Amino acid sequence: MKSGNNLNKISVWDEAAARHILSRSLFGYNKQDVEFALSITLDEFVDNYLLADQPEPPQPGAWVNDPTDDNTTENTRELIYWWYNLMMTQGYSIRERMVLFWHNHFVSEVSKVSLPQRMYWQNKLLRDFAMGNVRELTKTITIDPAMLIYLDGVRNRRGAPNENYARELMELFTLGIGNYTEQDIQEGARALTGWRVDGLTAYFTQDRFDNEFKTFFGETGNLNYIDVVNIIFNQPAAATFLCRELYHEFMHVAHDEVSIAAMAQILSENNFELKPVLSALLKSVMFHTDEVRGAKIKGPVELMVGAMRQFNVATPDYPYMRTVAAQTKQELFSPPNVSGWDGDKVWINTTTLPARNIFTDTVVNGRRPGGGDLTFQLNLVEYVRTFSSSEDAVQLIDDIAKIFLQFPLSENRKEYLLNTLLDGAEVYDWSTSDPQAEDRLKLFFKALMRLSEYQLS
Amino acid sequence: MDRRAFLRNLGVITGAGTVSMVLGNISVRAFSKSFLNVQSVNGKVIVILQLSGGNDGLNTIIPIEDSLYYNARPSLRIAKADAIKLNNLTGMHPSLMPLKSLFDDGKVAIVQNVGYDSPDRSHFRSTDIWLSASDSNVVVDDGWVGRYLANVLPDHNNFNTDHPMAIQIGSTQSALLECTCQGTMGISFESPNQFYQLINGSIADNDPPPNTIAGNQLKYIKEIAALSIRYAEVIKEKADSVQNMATYPDTRLGRQLAIVAELIAGGLETPVYLTSIGGFDTHANQAGSHSNLLTGVSEAIAAFQADLELLRVADRVVLMTFSEFGRRVNQNSSGGTDHGTAAPLFVIGRNVYGGLYGSNPDLSDLDNSGDIKFKYDFRQIYATLLTSQLGMPADRMPDVLPRSFETLPLISDRNFLQGSPGSFQLEQNYPNPFNPSTSINYTVRVPAALKLEIYSAAGDRVTTLINEYKEAGSYSVRFDGSKYPSGVYFATMESGAVRQTIKMVLIK
Repeated sequence: MKSGNNLNKISVWDEAAARHILSRSLFGYNKQDVEFALSITLDEFVDNYLLADQPEPPQPGAWVNDPTDDNTTENTRELIYWWYNLMMTQGYSIRERMVLFWHNHFVSEVSKVSLPQRMYWQNKLLRDFAMGNVRELTKTITIDPAMLIYLDGVRNRRGAPNENYARELMELFTLGIGNYTEQDIQEGARALTGWRVDGLTAYFTQDRFDNEFKTFFGETGNLNYIDVVNIIFNQPAAATFLCRELYHEFMHVAHDEVSIAAMAQILSENNFELKPVLSALLKSVMFHTDEVRGAKIKGPVELMVGAMRQFNVATPDYPYMRTVAAQTKQELFSPPNVSGWDGDKVWINTTTLPARNIFTDTVVNGRRPGGGDLTFQLNLVEYVRTFSSSEDAVQLIDDIAKIFLQFPLSENRKEYLLNTLLDGAEVYDWSTSDPQAEDRLKLFFKALMRLSEYQLS
Repeated sequence: MDRRAFLRNLGVITGAGTVSMVLGNISVRAFSKSFLNVQSVNGKVIVILQLSGGNDGLNTIIPIEDSLYYNARPSLRIAKADAIKLNNLTGMHPSLMPLKSLFDDGKVAIVQNVGYDSPDRSHFRSTDIWLSASDSNVVVDDGWVGRYLANVLPDHNNFNTDHPMAIQIGSTQSALLECTCQGTMGISFESPNQFYQLINGSIADNDPPPNTIAGNQLKYIKEIAALSIRYAEVIKEKADSVQNMATYPDTRLGRQLAIVAELIAGGLETPVYLTSIGGFDTHANQAGSHSNLLTGVSEAIAAFQADLELLRVADRVVLMTFSEFGRRVNQNSSGGTDHGTAAPLFVIGRNVYGGLYGSNPDLSDLDNSGDIKFKYDFRQIYATLLTSQLGMPADRMPDVLPRSFETLPLISDRNFLQGSPGSFQLEQNYPNPFNPSTSINYTVRVPAALKLEIYSAAGDRVTTLINEYKEAGSYSVRFDGSKYPSGVYFATMESGAVRQTIKMVLIK
């Protein structure tokens, strides 16, 4: 990448920069969001809004505290809608984006964890640490009830180690393959013994703990899980590994080891606190280069919640979103396996791309493909009238593209969109007062959101 | 496709083809496909069945006389009396009973101890190794099937073929079908009908994106959009044109294989299908779950094989299973097994030389982690499928695999004999002009796999009259034109790189 390791702050805080930062740190944005971001400085927007601590959201229901509530289907549904709603209403905070990032990092699947209550508490844990200290998050998630069940920590005991968690802890959560040995896995598993789960609570059982010396990354002692995580984070690979994941999340999927190393330095110099490295990244020259813009493929949840936020929808249709999430392969609390969703190009194939297109058509139509109204109906005339260019077809297309697209439109595509909007009329005839305006806008927005460019963030 | 690429595919530019003079104005669609076909696969198909999670090979194919096995598996062992006996030393898990009669009929080859050097015990890394066919210490981003389709099949790209180059049933696409040179070589869907519904009304977009990181992402999305639009119709048409004749188990895998059988029998010329089933990562309480998994797999495969035979396409199809690794010899204390290494693999089909290949694993000679040492490199199986089944010349192996691998005699190659100049002769049809039907006579001098197709003057393939292995002799086949309009038709016979075409006139 041309900019290389350039974590220096950008000098110009303009509309292009604001659109990019909004696109990558929220789930979609609208015109008012861009105006707000530009009404304050970049430092204020990043440090006082995006990265500011947020109050704890209310629980989805009393059931989360009741381990005997076995209404799992309904509770799982409620949990998913609750999280969709947090993403919808998060304001100018990066938090829910980070919670989703961690959900895809410290993976658990509700099917094996069996109680959605446990997934709620894991989700809360990920939210508590969303922009916090990664090492402490790793310690806490190691004895999180959902995680203990998901990766067989509850089966890991003295004399009968189960290596599942120890392996994934190092391979997928902290160091990456090649940065540990099979012996580290075996010894690490011994140090992680002793933990069990009762209902929604993890507890330590001394007689299941391997109360002997272990040698882990060359350190010998009667190590426990805290020692294991501390030793792991003493390995230089830990900061690099995590920053590579952050780089992929916020920049793009290409590898740029020089920049990743520079991020890792910030992370380890700040004792694994996330805010400094996130702050530096979001303000950096390398984040704001042209070639990073539009270089990420949106995930399904980002796409769906984003569409709702772009149109300012107040009452999104969560049941429909959940249906589409299944078709487009991102069901919350049900990642495909312990490595989570692969993301990037894997999101897009000959089944999921058409499903995304039908989703955006449906949002515009306000009606499901098989019939049945959504919980909301867009009023597109009213929507475009919030743009000062609403009566100037050519300018309107440019202005709307700035909300819906990160990738610059070619002249061909602009012409195609203009022809779609005008639907045979002359450009000077365009008016939102025309009786056909709503229908034309429907065609236009469907065409706009069917562009391949719309899949990019 | 631009005109130059079209002409190149017809052989006009390279001079490789003989057909262009006869068929100068035939449309791109039919003949880019035909050109593709002659140098490639002759209707042969491989179906890959991925068992995700690491199938416990030792409890799949069991060393029934080995006390080391029984000692290592105190609660998980399959008693000798319960195993399905394959020979004096080897048995199958009882849940594989549906495969027993196929084994007895010689349609199941079981290759023992398949793996690779320096095995990796990570699901993800080892899966990548199996999909990419790389060595253990090399990271390769694309899949061996993708490279085969892109590198070995002649001058073409994805968008030139009438039928998709590869199909994955399921809606998360595998790296298996990727090629870094050309992008994805296959398409994926859950079912032909759903796919068709999804695509209906989409429009392709041909703007070339800029060559930037974002531009390349956009290019990929546009390619997928174009692919899905292109193939939805033909897939639905082919799937609708036949009905499964066997009864499949009502499971995800059963449904996947039923779709594959319909598409093959319906005439889709796609040479590679990928299906999959998960759940093999049996770290805990393995006995019941593994048994259920094997039941599911063997019932689905048995139904698939029966269906292929009833649909009369079994000669063209070979199915291969694989899993990213086997499991540790010693069971763990959770009633399960941890990640291991080499394991047996199944190759199934009517043209397979059935039986056991290799001996039981030597449980007295394990590696440092207590895992089985591999005896057959998994790339040997791939090399065998590519050459014996898909007819790839052996010297092309390095274009797909890291180097050449020794093949195994797993598959009869009598159906893969390709014609050479003069090995067959297509005669002018009689009568000609005709109404409504005519006879096409031909002589086979050297036994070979032959195909005879009829094309309209517009270049659309009207029907396939022959697609099978033929012994030497004189033959006659009738073409019934009563369903078709008057006009000029072409009959093209091909085998290997040889093709002959005659012109016929239907006058009603």
